[in-house]
Amino acid sequence: MKHLPKHLRPRWRYLAVEIESWPDASFDRRAFQREVWYAAQNLLGDTGSAETDMTVLRFEHRDGAGHAIVRVRRGETDAARAALACLDSVDGDAVRVRIRGISGTVRACEEKYIGGPPEAPQQRHVVFENADRSATVRDPRYDVETASDGAFVGATALDFR
Amino acid sequence: MYEAVYAHPDGDSTVARHALTAAESGFDGIVVRNHGDEPADYDAEAIADEYGVDVAEGVEIRAENPSRASGFVGNHRSEATVVVVHGGDPKLNRFAVEQPAVDVLAHPMRGDGDFNHVLANEAAANGVRVAYSLGPVLRESGGRRVRAIKQLRKLRELLEDADAPFVVTADPASHLQQRAPRELVAVGEAVGFDAETIREGLAEWGRLVERNRERRRDSFVEPGVTVEREEGGDS
Repeated sequence: MKHLPKHLRPRWRYLAVEIESWPDASFDRRAFQREVWYAAQNLLGDTGSAETDMTVLRFEHRDGAGHAIVRVRRGETDAARAALACLDSVDGDAVRVRIRGISGTVRACEEKYIGGPPEAPQQRHVVFENADRSATVRDPRYDVETASDGAFVGATALDFR
Repeated sequence: MYEAVYAHPDGDSTVARHALTAAESGFDGIVVRNHGDEPADYDAEAIADEYGVDVAEGVEIRAENPSRASGFVGNHRSEATVVVVHGGDPKLNRFAVEQPAVDVLAHPMRGDGDFNHVLANEAAANGVRVAYSLGPVLRESGGRRVRAIKQLRKLRELLEDADAPFVVTADPASHLQQRAPRELVAVGEAVGFDAETIREGLAEWGRLVERNRERRRDSFVEPGVTVEREEGGDS
């Protein structure tokens, strides 16, 4: 279909979303998008969900850290913020989402709030509560694996001084 | 604005990790409110210095009946800056709001807990802050969440009517469960709160911490009365 004249096109806002999870979590853009839709529908209902019209544009997540850009309709950013706050797991992996900022263009959003790809973590052996553990480290964040089945404790460099 | 967190071993993140995350999210401080039987081991000052957020030592008292709870309040009151009572049982809710020594009644509507105008008036009279827990709104779904939102509304109507003090928290048990103040405000608005109420509720923790620290100083006698040492004097 012929694209709309400029004044009739929807106005968008772009949310820079920080995603944090345990290091063993792995999910892709589609899974994240699905959870965003569910979160919006569950909190705002069908009408609110259609109003906000949230779409995940950029998505990067690995080893427990990542970010995404979520497009929403202008004027619906508060509703979108609420829906995103209620997103607490993706495919069963617990996540923390935080909105770093909102921009009027994707490019501004990337440049201002996102920067480069998530930093690659290091594996280290640490002593946590008198036991040898392996930890996934993004200084100063230490995610300590306390059981082999993937139970983690979130710590920081301060806990290993 | 403060968040009240459960830290390892009561939660999945250490106090330091909670503090780091809270600092990034824009909180001014955290209150560590581990349950009395699972205390965390931490150096509040070192963490506060490193991450630039206040770390207040609190405790959440969980007891099966009011008489045990009363004993625990007595034990913890002298060391803990913030004393929270683990609500959710009609008797304990009643106990908490009748005790001026209690700072906060947490999640009063959890389980078979309930709240009414009598408790709200008691809470107002004794200055016990009742917590609006946004945790279930953030992390539950379906019927449980609907119930939680309904109960929040009931609690809000009662507390507003009695003009009782309140706090707001997401009850995070790991750094992943923390949400930034602006996010909590947005969620609060979506479930019927004023933005101002949520901000006030988050700020109230900070005022509570400050007041209790003031009270624990040696020079404190009673509200408005302190002992001033004279310069160079020997008193």
